[in-house]
Amino acid sequence: MREMDPSSGEPSAISRRSFLKGATQVAAAGGIIGGAPASEQGTAVEPEVETLSGSSSMELLVNGKSRSVEVQPRTTLLHALRNQMKPPLTGTKEVCGTGSCGACTVLIDGQPAYSCLTLAVTCAGRPVTTVEGFGSADAMSDVQQSFCDKDGMMCGFCTPGFVVATHAALDRAPKATLDELKYELSGNFCRCGTYPHVFDAAQAVQKDRARGEDGR
Amino acid sequence: MSRPTSGPVASDPSWGNRSDLDVLNRDIPRVDGPVKATGEAVYTHDVRLPDMLWARVLVHPVPRAEIESIDVEAASEMPGVVHIEALKEPGDAVRYLGDDAVLAVVAAETPDQAADALGAIVVKARRLAPVVTPEQALKEGAPVVSRRRKADSNVGRANERGDEAVADAALAGAVAVVERTFVVPIQHHVCLETHGHVVQPAPDNEQVTVYASTQSVGGTPRGLARTLGRDASKIRVLTPHMGGGFGSKFGPGLEGALAARVANVTGRPVHLMLTRADEFAIAGNRSGSRQKLKVGADSDGRLVGLKLEADKLGGVSGGSLPGPPYIYTVTDGAAVFSKIRSVHTATDGSRAMRAPGHPQASFAMEAAVDELGYLLGMDLVDIRIRNLESAVHHRQLRRVAEEIGWADHPNRDRPGAAVNGRAVGIGFGVSVWGPGGRSSRCDVTVRPDGSVVSATATQDLGTGARTYVAAIVAEELGLTVDMVEARIGDSDLPPSVTSGGSVTTGSSAPAIKDAAHKAREGLEALLTDVLEAPVGSYVWKDGRVSVRGDASRSLPWIAVCALLREPLLAQGEFRDFLHEGRIHGAQAAKVEVDTLTGRVKVLKMVTCQDQGLPLNRLALRSQINGGMVQALSYGLLEQRVFDEQDGFLLSDNLDLYKIAGSQEIPEMVALIDDEDERPSVCGMAEAPVIPGHSAIAGAIHNACGARLTRMPFTADNVLETLYGKI
Ligand code: FES
Ligand code: FES
Repeated sequence: MREMDPSSGEPSAISRRSFLKGATQVAAAGGIIGGAPASEQGTAVEPEVETLSGSSSMELLVNGKSRSVEVQPRTTLLHALRNQMKPPLTGTKEVCGTGSCGACTVLIDGQPAYSCLTLAVTCAGRPVTTVEGFGSADAMSDVQQSFCDKDGMMCGFCTPGFVVATHAALDRAPKATLDELKYELSGNFCRCGTYPHVFDAAQAVQKDRARGEDGR
Repeated sequence: MSRPTSGPVASDPSWGNRSDLDVLNRDIPRVDGPVKATGEAVYTHDVRLPDMLWARVLVHPVPRAEIESIDVEAASEMPGVVHIEALKEPGDAVRYLGDDAVLAVVAAETPDQAADALGAIVVKARRLAPVVTPEQALKEGAPVVSRRRKADSNVGRANERGDEAVADAALAGAVAVVERTFVVPIQHHVCLETHGHVVQPAPDNEQVTVYASTQSVGGTPRGLARTLGRDASKIRVLTPHMGGGFGSKFGPGLEGALAARVANVTGRPVHLMLTRADEFAIAGNRSGSRQKLKVGADSDGRLVGLKLEADKLGGVSGGSLPGPPYIYTVTDGAAVFSKIRSVHTATDGSRAMRAPGHPQASFAMEAAVDELGYLLGMDLVDIRIRNLESAVHHRQLRRVAEEIGWADHPNRDRPGAAVNGRAVGIGFGVSVWGPGGRSSRCDVTVRPDGSVVSATATQDLGTGARTYVAAIVAEELGLTVDMVEARIGDSDLPPSVTSGGSVTTGSSAPAIKDAAHKAREGLEALLTDVLEAPVGSYVWKDGRVSVRGDASRSLPWIAVCALLREPLLAQGEFRDFLHEGRIHGAQAAKVEVDTLTGRVKVLKMVTCQDQGLPLNRLALRSQINGGMVQALSYGLLEQRVFDEQDGFLLSDNLDLYKIAGSQEIPEMVALIDDEDERPSVCGMAEAPVIPGHSAIAGAIHNACGARLTRMPFTADNVLETLYGKI
């Protein structure tokens, strides 16, 4: 975790205070967690009121279900999904933890986001969709099926991130050209080098969906 | 439960005529596709066990230091910390940035608590001169960082081959001579799943279970036996899925040993996966090199003499580089001289990485061939064909040349020049690999209810191994792939090979075939009474068996299996004649160079690759593409960067260590060489990664005359080569 660096020696006065207050402040924090982040409301953050620490329980709306998780202010959505939820949702992968690779891509409010760069507390009340939310091995989404048909995977570790990113890309730009698809998927890395087959998979879905719309 | 088939074997297994195959040599979607595409596949990273501890290691940030103290007291009192242990004493040295720089291990109830405790460990150390570059290692009076016993410098013993005077004489008589020094950087594997294990301890009379992200489920029990204080048979290693290895995940490593130790001490399951930064620092790499290469040709373009002086840069390890001439032939073998040595730095030791040493050698050799071609005014494909022995290479080069549009390209025998700051070029490269095969076993079980299991202790690194474990059996028994359950990734299954050097397919596929064939003959033995034909005279197809030549005597699969009173177990082993030893490939790349900005854009890459009988054409094309992508990434982007002053590894993350993403990917064409009609199978993962960056470098040269002698081909590298140092 980069948010907190205990190696910096003695805790500062502020963090010590928040640590001590942690347990009691959690209850009050509910309202703050529930609201949109201050930055999005266009108001300034007021440190005294907003300081959160310790653990608190919150509800995350994941794949259509409300899930209760224990989080700290610093807990990322990725860690909430993978480590805190019971049972955990481990389809979303952690590869870099620093917003470089896309393995942790999920949808938040329908938009693709790196869950490793998203604090869980900012997701209260916002629908989150992970790779598991698109389908299961016996009932795959069209994108998931297409990844299988076109072999858009090898080791598969990047695949959940690519599946989510492809869903998002095709929703946002259903008629994307190959170059546009490459742009849409440029937030995801694959070390095995499956890109050509990932593009094939995305284009096959485009074709199928277009055919569906034409009623053919 | 079962009886091994016995009695006379009617015939040897065979892969059969290609035209008769119903399953193999086609596009087979991988059997674990659905679990991977939906996130249901459980990797070691994803294993969650009741009561599991989360462990982390503390890596010293610089390569060389003397430890004054490691104070774990405050950390040990932090919430959730269950185990904490310093691995070095005051006065100990950190000798290199690798496993020797691991200072402590922490295990706590949650990952955050483990990370917090790690940060609370107070390390006092005296930093020593870093020795992270070959220049630093070779400097007069440099500290000796070599791990060789009694080493008095950082230079390993030079390996000399050939007679220098003979090579010099041949080069003096050559019509065209090229001499250049090529610098190849160290490359990281960047497996997206980092190295690590989950160890579940057990009482002495039971098996310890280890989930491992490994290329060797079979070898890992032995690797952990001593740490766990028990016989390897009492350790079960599971690798249901793994997120890439590329040669870096053969043994449990220090991280595996530490996971095992903490599990032993605490009696609780331990999850220890390296972080991305740890991975860059201590999980291995492809060695770099510095190659001074001199090659001469006669007026016909035949190579007549070669001299190579090379340093392998493998950190504290030796590094790898095959001896020259790489793939190409020098008319008189005696006129080849080489002197190869290792230069050691205090950095992580190199490990095997997809075709160890070969991409490095390819970079220098293909460049020399290109330049000789230009000096002699020869077509780049012609000069290659003239110096390659194998007719397979000849046809493959012609095929990729055709696919990339070579015949219509203007600069076939001389480099071009930019028009309005834009230049387009084409380059080539070839590969060979000799994976072979070795001892491997497989059990095929057919049950009375018609279910079939094919089981072998191999692992699927993303190659598609799991899929052919089922598909080979399906082909032999006339079933569809989904009717056969593939069981792999478990050290308790019949032993197979460590997946390195592309040996997996050549070793395990023959054993699977052998088991499937024995199962078939076991079933045919039951049919002799029912369908009244001897063993060996049946056709298994479309879920039915029928007597060859008499389709009216036939039974559906389910009815055949119903004849079994108990499960039939067929045990297969490696059969030499079912595997192939040697493969070839050729690649072409087309690039556009912006000579004003130095930017290189790869427009197209083509590979033609043989491998005996293709088991799964879809997975093969994936592998070939993957090789091209990795070679492109290696050539254009990848660069390990150390702070030379203090020794910090600056590129320990995916922002600074850049790998190829979707926008770098050009049109890619993966051609399976179907003129290869060998009736045997072979792995091929190494070959397609070998020449891609060489072909790209050749294409840059061909486009605008800039011969890049060091990688990666960044804009500044291109500009400096074109216009000199600015
Ligand atoms: S893990 Fe989130 S971007 Fe890499
Ligand atoms: S399939 Fe292995 S990293 Fe993408």
